[in-house]
Amino acid sequence: MIARLADGVPRKGLWLLAALLLLLTLFPLFASGYLLAIGFLILYFAYVGQAWNVMMGFAGQLSLGHSLYVGLGAYAAAALYVHFGVSPWIGLGAAIGISMLAGAAIGFLAFRFGVAGVYFAILTIAFAEFARIGFDHFAWVRGSSGLFLPVANYTENDLWNLRGSPVMFYYLMLAMTAGAFVLCHALLRSRMGYYWLAIRESPEAAAALGVNVFRYKMYAVVISAAMTSLSGVVFAFYYNNLFPEQIFHISRSIELILGPIIGGIGTLVGPIVGAFLLTGLAEGLRELMLQLGIDVPGVKQVFYGLCLLLVIMFLPDGVWPPLARKLGLHR
Amino acid sequence: MSFDRRKFNQALAAAGVLSAVSPFASVRAQTKALKVGLLLPRSGIQAGIGQDCYRVVEITNPLLRELGLPALEIMSGDTESNVDVARSRAERLIGEGAQLLVGAFDSGQTTAIAQVAEQRGIPLVINIAAAPPITEQGYKFVFRNFPTAPMILGDAFANQLEVFAATGVSPKTAVFMHVNDTFGVAMQRGFTGVMKKFPAIPYKVVETIAYDPAARDLSVEVAKAKATGAEALILVSRLNDAILLTRELVKQRWTPKAVLSMGPGWYEDQYLKTLGKLADGPISFVPWYDPNKKLAQRLLAAQHKAYPDISLNTNHVYTFEALLVAADAFKRAGSAEPKALADAIRTTDIKNNVSPGPGILFNAKGQNDKLKDSAIQNRGGKLVTVAPKDAANAKPELPMKPYQQR
Repeated sequence: MIARLADGVPRKGLWLLAALLLLLTLFPLFASGYLLAIGFLILYFAYVGQAWNVMMGFAGQLSLGHSLYVGLGAYAAAALYVHFGVSPWIGLGAAIGISMLAGAAIGFLAFRFGVAGVYFAILTIAFAEFARIGFDHFAWVRGSSGLFLPVANYTENDLWNLRGSPVMFYYLMLAMTAGAFVLCHALLRSRMGYYWLAIRESPEAAAALGVNVFRYKMYAVVISAAMTSLSGVVFAFYYNNLFPEQIFHISRSIELILGPIIGGIGTLVGPIVGAFLLTGLAEGLRELMLQLGIDVPGVKQVFYGLCLLLVIMFLPDGVWPPLARKLGLHR
Repeated sequence: MSFDRRKFNQALAAAGVLSAVSPFASVRAQTKALKVGLLLPRSGIQAGIGQDCYRVVEITNPLLRELGLPALEIMSGDTESNVDVARSRAERLIGEGAQLLVGAFDSGQTTAIAQVAEQRGIPLVINIAAAPPITEQGYKFVFRNFPTAPMILGDAFANQLEVFAATGVSPKTAVFMHVNDTFGVAMQRGFTGVMKKFPAIPYKVVETIAYDPAARDLSVEVAKAKATGAEALILVSRLNDAILLTRELVKQRWTPKAVLSMGPGWYEDQYLKTLGKLADGPISFVPWYDPNKKLAQRLLAAQHKAYPDISLNTNHVYTFEALLVAADAFKRAGSAEPKALADAIRTTDIKNNVSPGPGILFNAKGQNDKLKDSAIQNRGGKLVTVAPKDAANAKPELPMKPYQQR
């Protein structure tokens, strides 16, 4: 199966991927607590970027409300853990199920009634906002007062209950990012992946060729929602507190799509490159400024804006496609 | 030499690599001052509040020296109003040598920082964050010198009773108006729950009206409130809607006997400046300072000197006190070793402080449960403290003077 997955991928690309994976695996051995936290954030954004990319990059459906699935996943697993002591891995089933249902509801409303483009994006925002306000009043998850998980015991790692050190969460996130990469690679090479690309380029042409556009768009939304909800579960157990105002907020949706936009929408490596560039370089820039004695709050946001501006002006396909050409990895 | 896009990208990449590895090479000279990592949301949605809290940094060290306490070396960390960033910033500050953390205004961000502090064994002194669970988690290195949400509400009712007794004005009916955002809804829920514990409260809430904090017109809401004939107006607002509501009260010629605020807005500088004489009268129930305490007067003077246009407020008071706790513990511990600092904080007993109550001391959970909130009234464009009696510098005045007679 691995051979099948690797089939057609340039050998140089495989070596680079293996080297990157090795580097990331060894990273906690030499990283400080701060770098480990940054490493976790990079992987987190790479993962959610990949999940969002399934919907937008592959199937061409713009979602600006992906915080909905992060929040639903986080709340479902956290609430089950807090109220019934259910392991997050079992809670994950509920998290994924609820997120898939929400995704299916949005998809059905939009695709059944021909809501597309900007209007579809607005619909996704509306659902995220609806959830934010709803959870503010949802007493079972403590509403706007916030849902707090019991403190993690850092003396030992308990993977079953996701209670443990940042290193454990880092490796979990690394595994999820690698898994999402492989899954997306497999999806892209499947019949469904080709259908998605056809739908993205021209839904009318795809339909004319016999592709069930409604069904395959629904698959994209549901798979993307399920993948995103997994990140919510990890988020909840890593930070141990959830507030509707923070987790469902539109700024979180925007934050998680910046990576793939900068890295390259519709590419497999783009979300990872984008996450590295945005989080890694922004932190690096801030650190550099502090070393120079310049303490300017908000410099990261300015950097994000500049990155977006430069990418839109000079690299409209994102950073990865031209970089891949330069490295001889494009086919 | 031309600087084309390729060279720019190379330069950017080089800068990135250099800066990314710089924490490894971050060797800084040891100083005798305690290194305090001050984590505040200085950018993002809470930037205004974070920057307001940060103002106190400039005046803290001179005041500490006056008190015979050691100066602090403040290391700043911007949480960007974001829980993810708050955690990584805490890690960075500890990595750079912070021996104690202070922050972070918001409960979510503070919780994320608290985990890092606990895991790394670095004391965290919370300046502002009201969610009760933070000090209910069994943390050993987390201390909070700020009232929890139930404490704030409980004190608000206790102070109301004191105000009603002092003025002889006991409204029998009230309308509760609140913003329908996260804060407003939480307060509304808490208000209803805590009020039951104060059977002596004379009024009955005859109507509850929620409104959008971004509303540009509140005439309907005020008309609805006026129509109830309520004697008191209880509010949970923000700044803009507080101004809007006041203008509407004037326009509709309705002056309740008492305007009682349980949130921001009604006592803020901008409210007083914008409305002039019309701003007088409302009473706000907030974590504040005791104007009779000597240190409060010194802080007030220092604040006025540094920022003449900005009044001393909750943000300054509690950020200053968190830094005061740090300096006091450092002096008593005689060491910057985190465990020694935490032990010293646990036995804190600062009588010469700023906030109302007997002083700064922590219970077994790390919470200062002796803190008291205040009732402050707008008078002649200034704020006076009218309750609790021990921390007051003026007597409350009710009923409010009608808006039309000012």
